[in-house]
Amino acid sequence: MSARRAPAATAPVAGAVGLALRAHPFTPFVVALAVALLAFLLPGPWGPVALYGVVLALAGATGVGGAARTALLVCLPLWLFLFLLHGVLGEGPRVAAGPLRLSAAGLALALAQAGRFGAIATASLGLLRAFRPSRFLDAAAARGWPFHLPYLLVATLQAGPRLRHRAGLVLEAQRTRGLRYGGSPLARLRALGPVVLPLVLGALAEVDDRAMALETRGLGAAGHGAVARTPLDPPRDTAGDRLVRWGAALAVLAALVWRVLAWRAAR
Amino acid sequence: MSAAPSLAPALAPALALEGATFRYPGAERDALDRVTLALEPGRVHWLFGPLGAGCSTLLLAAAGLAPRLTGGTLTGRLATLGADPQAAEGRRALAGRVALVTPSPALQLSGIGATVFEEVAFAPANLGWPIGRIRTAVGEALARFEVAHLVERAPAQLSGGEQQRVVLAAMAALAPALWLLDEPAGALDAAGRRRVAEVLREEAARGAAVVIASEDADLLVDVADRLVVLAEGRVVADGAPRALLAGDAIWTEGPGSTSVAALARGAGLAAPHPLTVAEGVARWSAP
Repeated sequence: MSARRAPAATAPVAGAVGLALRAHPFTPFVVALAVALLAFLLPGPWGPVALYGVVLALAGATGVGGAARTALLVCLPLWLFLFLLHGVLGEGPRVAAGPLRLSAAGLALALAQAGRFGAIATASLGLLRAFRPSRFLDAAAARGWPFHLPYLLVATLQAGPRLRHRAGLVLEAQRTRGLRYGGSPLARLRALGPVVLPLVLGALAEVDDRAMALETRGLGAAGHGAVARTPLDPPRDTAGDRLVRWGAALAVLAALVWRVLAWRAAR
Repeated sequence: MSAAPSLAPALAPALALEGATFRYPGAERDALDRVTLALEPGRVHWLFGPLGAGCSTLLLAAAGLAPRLTGGTLTGRLATLGADPQAAEGRRALAGRVALVTPSPALQLSGIGATVFEEVAFAPANLGWPIGRIRTAVGEALARFEVAHLVERAPAQLSGGEQQRVVLAAMAALAPALWLLDEPAGALDAAGRRRVAEVLREEAARGAAVVIASEDADLLVDVADRLVVLAEGRVVADGAPRALLAGDAIWTEGPGSTSVAALARGAGLAAPHPLTVAEGVARWSAP
């Protein structure tokens, strides 16, 4: 039989439609990290809010717009809480907002924090959507990195979906044994016990089994740098990728310098 | 299809145990109790015993995983392909030369292979093989286990039987000198079981040592060259599979025999019992 030809290095990722999925795997990481840093470096309230706007536009333009919708659902309760905590209950001069009289400083703080959370959540979820473990490991191998660090990162990122899948199986198994999951939040909370315990114990047992399996598949050799892992299909690092990464790093540096200078001037 | 290259003739046993005793942490008795064995290259060895007999533990110890990852204590001597699998130097020497197949194929998947190709290429890539060699080895291994058509599929979305074949192919791609298999056909259909049996015979013919821990007497009766029966961590019988399986002692000292032998014994036939359907028909048809 003729050996199966691995996809060419320049071929797009199977099923990838957006720029984020086609990009070099390090690029979304660097962008997400830069967003997290900028969210705290940019002055509030409008810095983080503007950053959130940029991140939303980026997510939509690079094919991970679904991450923005998910992040919005995650952030909404938090935003409401921030509004109540800082805007309604905050101290200082009040401003009229319809029938409400809200704290001006509290509103500014709530807006800044909402922008930060929105930007970070969207960038993180976008990163997860764009993440392809094998491409990331190939990129790391192509750089000659020891295998265990990227593998640990990948395994950690993979743990969420795997646990969710396992939780579904455990829940189904417990339902067939009479567990009733539904009704009020309190009833759902009570039903969590028989799901969480087998989930955690099963996950722990799986760790042992998987560690043993991986040990016999050369992970020890590559993991500790004794052998350089062969990249199966090293992703292409284009000039555009490098430009985006350097741009993100420079933006962080510029924001940092700006804040330091502003801080020194204020003293 | 070209088979993997033959291994150089080896005089030393592929797996040698001398008074090997192993106990898991907190266990009340030894999982392996003064086991002395020499398993040779070029043969299929079958470890047969009921649950708790120590068959799986012996494989883990041979792979260097027990007690290093499981905890516990191992005394006596154990050499895998002439190296000490517990020592760092030995593990380096054994990397890629020992294939361990555990009973749960889903847990043997790397978890990072997006396709079956990447999954089977995982170990060769870790060992730093050139990409051309990896492609050839993966293609051949997938063909041997008749799963070449799955090459673009996601491993996690395969059936249990398909995952089992992919895991076996992943090990075959390494062309190991020593196979350690724990219930390798547990998730397979009849065709898959036959294919696994054929490949393991091919591997032994290539010069690899094959060690299988299994209760699947129906599959292994005509695959194994040597049967080692364990009970409570001790070797209680060691010899030709057919001779041992057809006798009465295997029912008292061991875990039993093939389905046909069980039927014959239940029907009151005296030993030696028939072991296969064909033998059973011949025996019952005899005047």
